[in-house]
Amino acid sequence: MSLQLLVNALVNAALIAPPAMAFSLLFGILRFPNFAIGAYITVGAFAAYSLNVSLGLPLVVASGGAMIITAVVVWLTHVVVFRPMQDQSPVTLLVVSIAAAFIIENVIRLFYSADVRGFNIPLERPWKFMDARITREQVEIIIFSGLIAVGLHFLLAHTRIGRAMRAVADNPMLAAIRGVNATWITAFTTALCGLLFGLTGVFAGLDLVIEPLVGWNLTIPIFAAAILGGIGSPYGAMVGAILVGLAEEATFLIIPSTYKVGVGFAIIAVLLLVRPQGLFGTLEIKK
Amino acid sequence: MSAYLISMGTYIGFFMILALALNLQWGITGMVNFGVAGFYALGAYASGLLTTKLGVPVGLAIPAACLVGMLVGGCVALLSMRLREDFLAIVTLGVGEVIRLIVLNEDRITEGPRGLRIEAQPFRDFVSAENYPLFYLFFVAVFVCLTFFVCERIRKSPMGRTLRAIREDDVVAGVLGKNVLRHRIQIFAVGTFFMGLAGALYAHYTQNISPEVFLPMVAMFIWMSVIVGGAGNNRGILIGAGAVMVFLEGTRFIGDFVDILDAEKMSALRIIMIGLLLIVTLRIRPRGLLPETKFQFKPN
Repeated sequence: MSLQLLVNALVNAALIAPPAMAFSLLFGILRFPNFAIGAYITVGAFAAYSLNVSLGLPLVVASGGAMIITAVVVWLTHVVVFRPMQDQSPVTLLVVSIAAAFIIENVIRLFYSADVRGFNIPLERPWKFMDARITREQVEIIIFSGLIAVGLHFLLAHTRIGRAMRAVADNPMLAAIRGVNATWITAFTTALCGLLFGLTGVFAGLDLVIEPLVGWNLTIPIFAAAILGGIGSPYGAMVGAILVGLAEEATFLIIPSTYKVGVGFAIIAVLLLVRPQGLFGTLEIKK
Repeated sequence: MSAYLISMGTYIGFFMILALALNLQWGITGMVNFGVAGFYALGAYASGLLTTKLGVPVGLAIPAACLVGMLVGGCVALLSMRLREDFLAIVTLGVGEVIRLIVLNEDRITEGPRGLRIEAQPFRDFVSAENYPLFYLFFVAVFVCLTFFVCERIRKSPMGRTLRAIREDDVVAGVLGKNVLRHRIQIFAVGTFFMGLAGALYAHYTQNISPEVFLPMVAMFIWMSVIVGGAGNNRGILIGAGAVMVFLEGTRFIGDFVDILDAEKMSALRIIMIGLLLIVTLRIRPRGLLPETKFQFKPN
């Protein structure tokens, strides 16, 4: 029983860790909480579904295609909606990102009905490991999520473009003076985050179901993970994801599961009150 | 048709009160509140439960609902002590959702998803049944005017100046000796007072309230009303709330002319339109349709 709980928590964490890291990266560069991430994840799930089920491509190819499609959507949204509005306050941009999410999600609803769908993959019996059950897809999600974390760490710590990304996030003006091309870095970051949201869409399609609200339902846990870890800190987001995963599973033992959404919010609220900068963030100096 | 217009007008009234209240909190004071739907629900259920379960007369239940909104709002405002504005956004959204979850799950008291039936209506015995919707429209209009009047008075008063100073820079306002926290709690509580009022008026209008009405979506529509209308300008807020509601409801008529879309697709299309309304308005008029007039010092 308790082992199963840990397994579930780990799968949960693996699902929300990549988008939480992507959300953190996006926040670092764009400086507003982007509520459209749920819609991006939905785009990934439906793009993969169309390539996989409607066109009959193998899931690996479909996933790659879905990631590229999502990256294009994220970048386009940035160029068409957010970039022309960068002088607005973060809160206005937050509302605009919700409007963007409404548009994206409902365009999907226009073309696909609200039915629940799944990928075209063979059903397999879950593996049993002591008393816990885990499916093959869940193991793959955990492995890929771990690889992404390592890859992102390598990118941010050891490559030229990673350093430039951190520089722009830290102080855009100073980065510009030192010759970092902020436009190109922003485009690269949005596209990279788009790839991660697209992959999360595929994961969500594997582990949950494919429906227009699949991303929206993940938004709050993702926010909780990113804030818990300290917004703007990708490593923190990873740890945050594991803690949120554990907390969501553990609360089933104490309160009815109907309050699950409330758990994410409660974590955020308590943490923000006790430690506003998150577990691994540094306190921002105001003005 | 005219019945439809009357009902739409009444809903515009609820939206206007909510948007004016949010404008007090965000447009004038800069306090983020994404829990609008929760406070709306709080007012509706407070008034509804008082009249149905405790037999309180409507004339007392509606003010009581306002007070409940005010008290809860005051407590939530305490959070602003420690939270940055974008974080307060997420926490207030959480407060709104938790209120909805409580209403949904504690169905022994609230009837949960089955919906709460409310018999009581204000001045029901004095107005005939066929005239009642029209009467209620005027009833709501009176409250919209009252809310507008109070909001304008606050905006023009010395307190309004302090609130705008807090919005622009709370540190400077504090250095000038203004009690920032007290002002924030006060204005947030006044805002949620009016949100409670809107909820109570709504409850006694539809006479059947259920948690699905109070989704975070409602909070988004109110936010869009404020941003489209022009944050900080009470007249703009009235226009914004009207525009959003007309977009939301008026697009239903497109369905009468276009047969190719079923109900599901129409509802998707309507939400797309609302999203576009916000983005296009902000692209053309970055400060909203009626921007706040900036105070300028005019030497004689």
